[in-house]
Amino acid sequence: MEEKRKWKVSDISEILRNGFNAIIHGNLLLRLNVGKYFMHIAYTFLLFWILIFESLMAENALGKVERGKEKLHEMEIVLADKTFEAAMSSRRSAVIDKLHELGSRLEEPQAPATVIKKNGR
Amino acid sequence: MEDRNKKDRIGLVLYVFYLAMLVMAVCVAGKIVYFQLIWHPEPKIAGPLTPSVVKRTIEPVRGNILDCNGRLLAMSYPVYDIRMDCTVRKNEFALIKDPEKSRMKESEWLRKSELMAEGLSHLVPGTDAAKLSRQIAAGRKDGRKYLQIAKGVDRKTMLAIKELPLFNEGANRGGIIVEPRNIRKYPYGRIARRTIGFVRDNKGLPEEEIKGNPGLEGRYDALLHGTDGREYLRVSDRGRVRNYDSAYVRAIDGNDLRTTINIDFQSAADKALRAQIDSEKTLNAACLVLMEVKTGAIRAMVNLSRDPSRGGSFEEISNHAIGRRYEPGSIFKTVTLLSVLSDGYIKSLDETIPTNHGVVKDTKMRQDVHILDWEREHKTHEISIRDGFKISSNYVFGTLAVQNYAKRPKQYVEKVYSYGLGDNFDFDLEGLLTPSIPNPANKEVWSNTTLGTMGFGYATEETPLHMLTFYNAIAGKGRMVKPYLVESIEKNGNVVDRRGTSVLNASICTRAVADTMTRALLSVTEEGTAKVLRKARCKIAGKTGTSFGIVAGGGYSDVSGRKKYQGTFVGYFPAEDPQYSVICAVFSDPSYTNYRFQGGGIPAATVKELADYVYANDPRFRKEADKK
Repeated sequence: MEEKRKWKVSDISEILRNGFNAIIHGNLLLRLNVGKYFMHIAYTFLLFWILIFESLMAENALGKVERGKEKLHEMEIVLADKTFEAAMSSRRSAVIDKLHELGSRLEEPQAPATVIKKNGR
Repeated sequence: MEDRNKKDRIGLVLYVFYLAMLVMAVCVAGKIVYFQLIWHPEPKIAGPLTPSVVKRTIEPVRGNILDCNGRLLAMSYPVYDIRMDCTVRKNEFALIKDPEKSRMKESEWLRKSELMAEGLSHLVPGTDAAKLSRQIAAGRKDGRKYLQIAKGVDRKTMLAIKELPLFNEGANRGGIIVEPRNIRKYPYGRIARRTIGFVRDNKGLPEEEIKGNPGLEGRYDALLHGTDGREYLRVSDRGRVRNYDSAYVRAIDGNDLRTTINIDFQSAADKALRAQIDSEKTLNAACLVLMEVKTGAIRAMVNLSRDPSRGGSFEEISNHAIGRRYEPGSIFKTVTLLSVLSDGYIKSLDETIPTNHGVVKDTKMRQDVHILDWEREHKTHEISIRDGFKISSNYVFGTLAVQNYAKRPKQYVEKVYSYGLGDNFDFDLEGLLTPSIPNPANKEVWSNTTLGTMGFGYATEETPLHMLTFYNAIAGKGRMVKPYLVESIEKNGNVVDRRGTSVLNASICTRAVADTMTRALLSVTEEGTAKVLRKARCKIAGKTGTSFGIVAGGGYSDVSGRKKYQGTFVGYFPAEDPQYSVICAVFSDPSYTNYRFQGGGIPAATVKELADYVYANDPRFRKEADKK
């Protein structure tokens, strides 16, 4: 058996008209009885607030990451600079020159080293 | 009643306020819908209003090249280009209403720029302070925003430049623009430059050096470079930050390359060779290679060419050790001697052959006049193989080749191939040339004299590295190993891929024959053409060779009788227990007879210097003594 339709198309225009009148009179929310969803609405606001706050925090953190990257890059540059200086200074000729500057008469070996064995070992 | 009216009035005010808010909300909502769906901004303002996402390529750190002990041979090094926006604050000063004050501010800025230029001239050599000041003033007038101030300065200088007047006010007020870039630096300067090679886009190197064979840097570029990464950046209140909604690809840093080069030996080899050749005006190139006998690891590789662009000094321009193919001359006699010994045609070095006045029988080869001297001096018509080798007689080795292989020349050529002297092998540097060996079946190149002349090192062409590999095999008692330059590929100190020794031929001769060869080679350095090596700190076995290059117009000498000398010494040390093999070759422009260009001259003397150094410094040669 076909169920009888309980509403008419003209009801839609009635609802819209009532809704518009309610908006104009400023009592739409009261008519909709939104009061009972107040907690949900407040909770939704809280969630949105957290979302925005987190987003700002993330932005802040990303900014810090970029600044950290710049610092790290700077440190890498310093490291490369120092490594190059160390490599230059550790050149055999540089060491000999430095020794001569300091008054040493040490020269390149003229014969293979002799290893002195201790106690027959 | 009055109270009620009052309430109505308040209600009315609130109602009107409510309606006003409602209208505003509707307007805002309508505007949002309009902006989202209908309105299209003009492209001019759309750009600045739209938060841009830019793609940035993350450059990986290029790997280092290390010597066998881990010392840096090549590394990436940051340098800075300093530029200047000459127009900073120009508009700001122009907008000052008081013309006197505006002029004063402008002249103060220019005064500071002069002080900056003055300071810069002390920090960056070659900077003309007055010229730079004029450029800045002109640039300010013309609106130049990118004036070059200094190029390729190191970090210390860059920091000092930032402290100069005007620049210490920062980019917005002082106009300083600092642009970092990486270049390749070589702590050992130009030593082994041809072996280490270069990076093609290295703006830190002079242009003339970025050509030719790119060396290890070029051959292993993909491994050294690593993999580029990419990220997308967006503008935020905190500056540019990574856009995490877009893809991010991490850069993978390049691997390090540990070479077999020992930089101490390399420096000593470079010094020894330069000391010998620097004063020789008619020499145009030389090379020196030191290789470890057991492994084939190349410990030093020096390649020097005269560089007209540097006042004719010797520089590492071409890799002669692998890229120069020439008739090796007498060092090839060892090939003939090894062949006849291995094939059993002679049993002992003391066997003799008739001198025949220096004429090789059954050929049209030119008479060897040195044999006539031998006959006169020793009053004999016989010469032993050892003496022939010692004095490097072309007649003796031409005869040995013709006498034993004339009927089977292919057998001799196959021997040459079996010694690795006819083929190429995969080497760690690009550009190793393939030797040229005549084919007996090709009658166009094979004549009546070819076999005989091959016997003493003509009619063939070899690279120094091929000859060294052959002598290294004799030192290794017949085991021929492949020369190599890359020990391992490393990442953060861990070995990713270990290269190393590979054997080309497990036995090119028996141990007994190798020992006989060593005795023959020792006779050359003790009593023969390389007597200069008698004074070496350890016994060196080896052979000298002198050949002549083809001069312009063809032939081995020009109209004035000048010849292009190609002198070589190749051998190994210590002869009793060989650890290193070494080759030194020098190449001259056309010149008159000069003993120093022959194998027993500069090449032998250079090898002595290097061998002395290695013998005294390599821990494997140390001696043990009991404590008494």
